[in-house]
Amino acid sequence: MADTMANAAPAARFLTRDRIIKWAPLLVLGVLILLFPFFEWLEDIRAGEAHAYLIDSRFFSIRNAARIGIAAAPALMVAIGVTFIIIMGSIDLSMEGTVSVCAVVFAFAFLAWGGTVLSWAWLAIPAAMLVGAAMGFINGLVHVKLKIPSFMASLAMGFVGTGLALLLTGGDRTRVEDPIFRSLLTERWFNFPVMVYVALAFLLIAWFIQSRTTLGRNFYAVGGGEELAHASGLNVERVRLMGFTLAGVFFAVGALLAVGRIGIAETATGNNFMFVSITAVVVGGTALWGGIGGVWNTLVGVLIVSVINNGMVVIGLPAYVQDAVLGILVILAVVLSTDRRSVSFVK
Amino acid sequence: MSFIKKFIQQEKVNRRDLLLASAFGLGGVAASGLLGPGMARAAIADPTVAWSYRNRTNPYWNEIVSGGEAFVESLGKSKDFLTHLINEGSSEKSLADVKALLSKTNGDLALAIDTNDAPNARPVVEACVEAGAYVSTLWNKTDDLHPWDFGDNYVSHMSWSDEGPAEQTARILLDAMGGSGGVVHLGGIASNNPAIERLNGLKNALKDYPNVELLDAQPADWDTQKANQVMSSFLTRYGDEITGVHCANDTIAYGVLEALRAEGIEGMPVVSYDGNPQAVDLVSRGEILATVFTNPHWGGGITASLAYHAATGHFKPSDEPNEHREFYGPTIFVTPEDAAEFKASYLDSVPTYDWTDFWGPSNGQIQYQ
Repeated sequence: MADTMANAAPAARFLTRDRIIKWAPLLVLGVLILLFPFFEWLEDIRAGEAHAYLIDSRFFSIRNAARIGIAAAPALMVAIGVTFIIIMGSIDLSMEGTVSVCAVVFAFAFLAWGGTVLSWAWLAIPAAMLVGAAMGFINGLVHVKLKIPSFMASLAMGFVGTGLALLLTGGDRTRVEDPIFRSLLTERWFNFPVMVYVALAFLLIAWFIQSRTTLGRNFYAVGGGEELAHASGLNVERVRLMGFTLAGVFFAVGALLAVGRIGIAETATGNNFMFVSITAVVVGGTALWGGIGGVWNTLVGVLIVSVINNGMVVIGLPAYVQDAVLGILVILAVVLSTDRRSVSFVK
Repeated sequence: MSFIKKFIQQEKVNRRDLLLASAFGLGGVAASGLLGPGMARAAIADPTVAWSYRNRTNPYWNEIVSGGEAFVESLGKSKDFLTHLINEGSSEKSLADVKALLSKTNGDLALAIDTNDAPNARPVVEACVEAGAYVSTLWNKTDDLHPWDFGDNYVSHMSWSDEGPAEQTARILLDAMGGSGGVVHLGGIASNNPAIERLNGLKNALKDYPNVELLDAQPADWDTQKANQVMSSFLTRYGDEITGVHCANDTIAYGVLEALRAEGIEGMPVVSYDGNPQAVDLVSRGEILATVFTNPHWGGGITASLAYHAATGHFKPSDEPNEHREFYGPTIFVTPEDAAEFKASYLDSVPTYDWTDFWGPSNGQIQYQ
């Protein structure tokens, strides 16, 4: 009797509410990955063709995984940047402008300094990251020193960035055709292009910052309870400034991967990153009220959004219902993957 | 849905007419009483030449206006002789600026204008006719507004139809595919008129190619990155079934080519539209089979020239046939064989046009459906 009790207890504890919520985003991703092949299977069975579930799936294949990886890599970088900000309980909406400026500055510098990674032009890569850091720093200054809510400050900085990029380019596109830089896309290791590994490397760096540095800990402290953190002697303003600067650097990495992906830098390079990154962060289970979540949640979130986008075209959903389906799936994912019991009210 | 669009357009016109009528008030009535409506005036010796457009940061409008400047330079004047009225996408500002310039010049005006939206064309034209100025319009006007209903003062209207040229690029594509296989279309923003016309062009061409299947058509919003992702999803869904790609414009084609490059796919037939310099380079390398150039430089110059030469009495618009009053702008096909020649003659150095050859490069009278 005592034995059975002892055995039952760990099993009951294994599926605690906290655990379920923690792993829910991954569960959602798993269900989606199995759902789209199901629709393919259904389509072929209806057409009277032989189709072994998963094995004959075009969606569930290494080649398509690589395509999703290519689509997700730049968005992952931008989403990681904004994750740090959201953990602090703030928001950063400047990504579209920052990505455009970094992409354009990178392309101009890269072409001016030699046009190939083997010359001094490689300096354009750190230069773009510096520009990103500077944009983020200014963003943080506006937010912290002028005491403007991060929502407005960053949105405004985003517009400034887009305008600056337009001013620099005059509306033209710049092509970056250096084969070595483009090997980000064209060179493949184990079926996946180099840019996917670059993104994973930066994910690990972000994870290190989040979990092994004082700065990372401080993000959670600020997000979990700013007054408490302040009262404990933490320089909250400094943490915020560094957070926005760090986000700017990750936006710049996202810009570099975006240029690597299509070989073109233009004002429109930053388009759509706001929706994708914010959605991904939230769907991944990082709460907008701060203090909860992290970069692994963001990875899962970006994959969920990319899988949905890819899967809808693969199963042949008509264009006019795709946006609606995406919206509904996002609501579902947020419902499943965030713990809303702990918040008394949502604003 | 077109009946809704028509209704909204009509309502807009009605509203604007009412606003105009009340704005003019008694002053307008008195003025027209003095001068007489639709008065015939002797030719204007030295009219002010003006171009009214959205803004110059857009490369397309920059080309249009550079044509206008080339035209005034051909008159032996400096670039600054051309007056710029910039509406920044506001029809109200467009109309207000025209009226201000009409009173400043006392009607001695040759105006080239895109009125920003179709309903705005009527009040602009009526204001010009009233003041005895000469106006030529580009792109926007309602279907019920015609230059020949206004004597000499509404000189001409030029526009472009994309359906025919898109059909021709589609034929180039379908021939390159050997008349069989599967084609995908990546379109512009779904509700945009050029996006609709360019897809229709492909569909028209497909009627003559029964062995080619239109596998899918999805909007890519004129956006390179979106096109890139849509194309890679197409490759997942259809894989080797895709043997040709029809793109609604050059920016979309760039994204498509990169999606193909990522997969190591070479030699896939792709066609696009717009004739951007970079696309022309790609055509000359054979990576794009065809694109269509609409020569905005010539369009901008000739629109100003028509208004100017009508104003100076060089020709009398009402003596011209209808196809010289409402006509389609030029469309030039760029294919790998002639890309180098095209680039040399249109992009590397802008050709010097004879601005009194008003209709040479034009493309026939505008047809209404």
